[in-house]
Amino acid sequence: MTQTTPRQPAPALHVVQVTVNGEPRDAAVPARTLLSDFLRDTLGLTGTHVGCGHGTCGACTVLLDGVAVRSCLLFAVQTDGCSITTIEGISPDGTLTPVQQAFQDNHGMQCGFCTPGFVCSLTALLAEDPAPTDQRLTETLDGHLCRCTGYQNIVKAARQAAGREALS
Amino acid sequence: MSTPTAARPKYVGGAVKRREDPRLLLGRGRYVADIALAGTVHMAVVRSPHAHARITGIDASRALATPGVLTVLTWPDISAEVGPIPCIDAYPDSLPALQTALADGVVRYVGQPVAVLVATTEYGAEDALALVDVTYELLTPVVTMDDALAGETLLHPELGTNVVTTIAQDVGDVDAAFAAADRVYEETFEIHRYAPMPMETRGVVAEVDPISERLTLTTSTQFPHLVRGFLSGCLGIPESRIRVVAPDVGGGFGAKCEFYCEELLAPLLALRLRRPVRWIEDRREHLVASTHAREQRHTVRVAVLEDGTVTAVDARSWTSSGAAYSTLTTTPASISSAMLRGPYRIPHYRARAHCVLTNKTPLAVYRGAGHPQAVLVMERMMDVIAADLGRDRVALRLQNSLTPAELPSDRGTAIVLAGPVVYDTGDYGFCLTRAAEMIGLDEDWPAQQAAARAEGRYLGIGLANLVEETSIGPYESSVVRVDGSGAVTVLTGSSPHGQGHVTTFSQLVADELEIDIERITVLYGDTDVVTDGVGTFASRSAAIGGAAARKAAGVVKDKAMAVAAHVLEIDVADLEWRDGAAHVRGLPARSLSLGELAQASTAWNAPLPGGMSFNLEGTYQHQAAGIAFSNATHAAKLAVDVQTGEVEILDYVVVHDCGTVINPTIVEGQVHGGVAQGIGGTFMEDLPYDADGRPLARTLQDYTTPTASDMPWIRTDHMESPTPLNPYGMKGAGEGGATGAPGALVNALQDALSVFGVHLTVDGPWTPDRVLDLVPEDLPWA
Repeated sequence: MTQTTPRQPAPALHVVQVTVNGEPRDAAVPARTLLSDFLRDTLGLTGTHVGCGHGTCGACTVLLDGVAVRSCLLFAVQTDGCSITTIEGISPDGTLTPVQQAFQDNHGMQCGFCTPGFVCSLTALLAEDPAPTDQRLTETLDGHLCRCTGYQNIVKAARQAAGREALS
Repeated sequence: MSTPTAARPKYVGGAVKRREDPRLLLGRGRYVADIALAGTVHMAVVRSPHAHARITGIDASRALATPGVLTVLTWPDISAEVGPIPCIDAYPDSLPALQTALADGVVRYVGQPVAVLVATTEYGAEDALALVDVTYELLTPVVTMDDALAGETLLHPELGTNVVTTIAQDVGDVDAAFAAADRVYEETFEIHRYAPMPMETRGVVAEVDPISERLTLTTSTQFPHLVRGFLSGCLGIPESRIRVVAPDVGGGFGAKCEFYCEELLAPLLALRLRRPVRWIEDRREHLVASTHAREQRHTVRVAVLEDGTVTAVDARSWTSSGAAYSTLTTTPASISSAMLRGPYRIPHYRARAHCVLTNKTPLAVYRGAGHPQAVLVMERMMDVIAADLGRDRVALRLQNSLTPAELPSDRGTAIVLAGPVVYDTGDYGFCLTRAAEMIGLDEDWPAQQAAARAEGRYLGIGLANLVEETSIGPYESSVVRVDGSGAVTVLTGSSPHGQGHVTTFSQLVADELEIDIERITVLYGDTDVVTDGVGTFASRSAAIGGAAARKAAGVVKDKAMAVAAHVLEIDVADLEWRDGAAHVRGLPARSLSLGELAQASTAWNAPLPGGMSFNLEGTYQHQAAGIAFSNATHAAKLAVDVQTGEVEILDYVVVHDCGTVINPTIVEGQVHGGVAQGIGGTFMEDLPYDADGRPLARTLQDYTTPTASDMPWIRTDHMESPTPLNPYGMKGAGEGGATGAPGALVNALQDALSVFGVHLTVDGPWTPDRVLDLVPEDLPWA
């Protein structure tokens, strides 16, 4: 219930040109359109989930030029000219990537709502640092809320994806 | 004589990987917010900013003058058309305090819907909220339990009280037991308000099908079939004209085991506007508009003999039920009062549980409902008694625990909607002993604590035993059908929100039919596809829904055998079922597969003998024979930093028994998730209200839930005591994690800080500042 001033009947539109999951996309949207809404509503990529809308839960995480970002905290117009990868583009061919497979192998998900965010963040981390320390893995996971799993199996999945030994 | 063959490996009991995961991992889930129908318009809800006020005027003219705003509705606009939000667990003598879909002149909690509007865009709808001018005359808010019980201000003056329900449980002769007691202990415990907080908020999409003129409500719910009935009743539309769909549901934990105002308003608007109406709750709304949980006060007196035998408990509780009934209002109080004694014999018991109106968001069920509060109270008391008698806390608990030989045990209490409490099976002492051993609670523990204290580390171990109601009925339905390719479709009336129904139900049906799991498709969550069902709550789906699915598969198997006998022209007794096919005994090569038998019973065959119906399909409604009670012992070991007040959970053990396990990985996942919620509630999560009744937690920055690094590594051990109440021995596993954690954690904190003379009677949240308040200021290093 955000308080705003009455909007203009026809808000000015701004063309956003981005590459999403390898494909050029463009659309004209109002300046205040959030990146999360742009991806979900304008482009129909609903795999990006909005859990809080204020940057806390991490469910809406996507990769912006390879960096994990909260799409609910960015305006679409800020990403003009950028390359975006959403959960739909994490796997190039529809088979599970090692990160995704690790979640299934370790039962690292239940309702699946937060899962795309975890997968995107871990994918970004491992692309940048294929052998992250425990500290870095924990920091990455701590940027995301999950309400189902109690995290233990997500930690297992992350360690498998990072090639770390399993904890018992 | 059948030919011996290698036993086909069973799926049930195996750690089968979840079949639903790949779709969700690839971003192909379909939650309610993902549904985009052509012509959709967007609903937004004007909510009360006040805890208690009379509405003196609503002026929507500025909103209606805004381009894109289609309509604004207030209570007078709809009151002739819609009934109140139903409550299904009211007692016969409960006083009526039902909520209306929009405030009927008085608002009673911050967040209560006052008006609803529709605009052509989602952003435009939210903008227009600020243009609906509502004026209020403030009334005195009833915020605390003491305010409510004082009764100076009444939420519903016509009722004459804020206490709307009182539940009685009476077992044995309590007064005589107290008269004969050697010692009597009395304590009052406060349990704070927190909430399920699923990662997906609620949301609805309502549309009228232009061809059939039927209403479709897609909603993030745990029980679509019950929503169909509620909506039918509230709108006065026959159920035959309503379809309710629960798509992928992003967690619920009880918050979506409710029928909400928005689930009534969106369909009403769709019928009026003849356009699809969509509303997606935002997180700020969720924190005030979705049900809260837990908040109770308990005063207990306990009668004890010198030898440690607990003979009687006399309990009173008050649940802060919020401003109106929810769909499940009395259940937390009912469960707390019926289950307070947990695994302990305690032959004499009296409870009076009161549901009390306060100017807060309605309170309802959350994972464990009233169990976690009851466990905290009873387990704190066991530690209080053990400390006073100088007894070992494990030994005192063992002494008072029911033994397997004493089961079944009629406890003399009853739970609303579920029925009488008769413990069925379990070995409570085994779980306790094993958990104490795993956590390292032995005669050496006090010395370990002392040694750690000498180094400035305050260690504590806490235990909590629990017995919990699971697998409640009354029934669940299933249909199993086979097509000519041998593919099997399973319909279940139990609609999941993360529990893994596709996997576990496939395991059960695959074992029954002796086929590969990949041949099975599980469908749920659409009342047009699965016409009959109940839902997912009260740890019931795997046991009750699973039994229905497996029984329905059994019906299919029996029919397949009859068809085989007919086709092969032999007696059915000369056939045996093996590996998904009917085999002629003694002629193992002569067989007909499930697919072949399905082909033999389709419409292009001659009628089957004896008027047998065409097609291989079986329906089964499994009715629960009674409540199955799961049990567990939780043991937590923690360290308190007396300089910062921070608590680190060093070890966490759960030894549990949910009867026959279908999938141990899924069961463990349920335990982990429940424990995390108990940890959150004990140390972090809180829904505080200020003196004016304004909620202070309005974002997930205020309402903090655990992250990965807040969690200990949970170690689990299982035992299986199958229940005779279920044809396959299964009990429920969904809630025990949340049920046991608060009691174990608060007892551990007490154990760590006992040297300071603390006496914990509050469940939390034990945030560092509050923990620090327990530490003496003159401590050299504090």
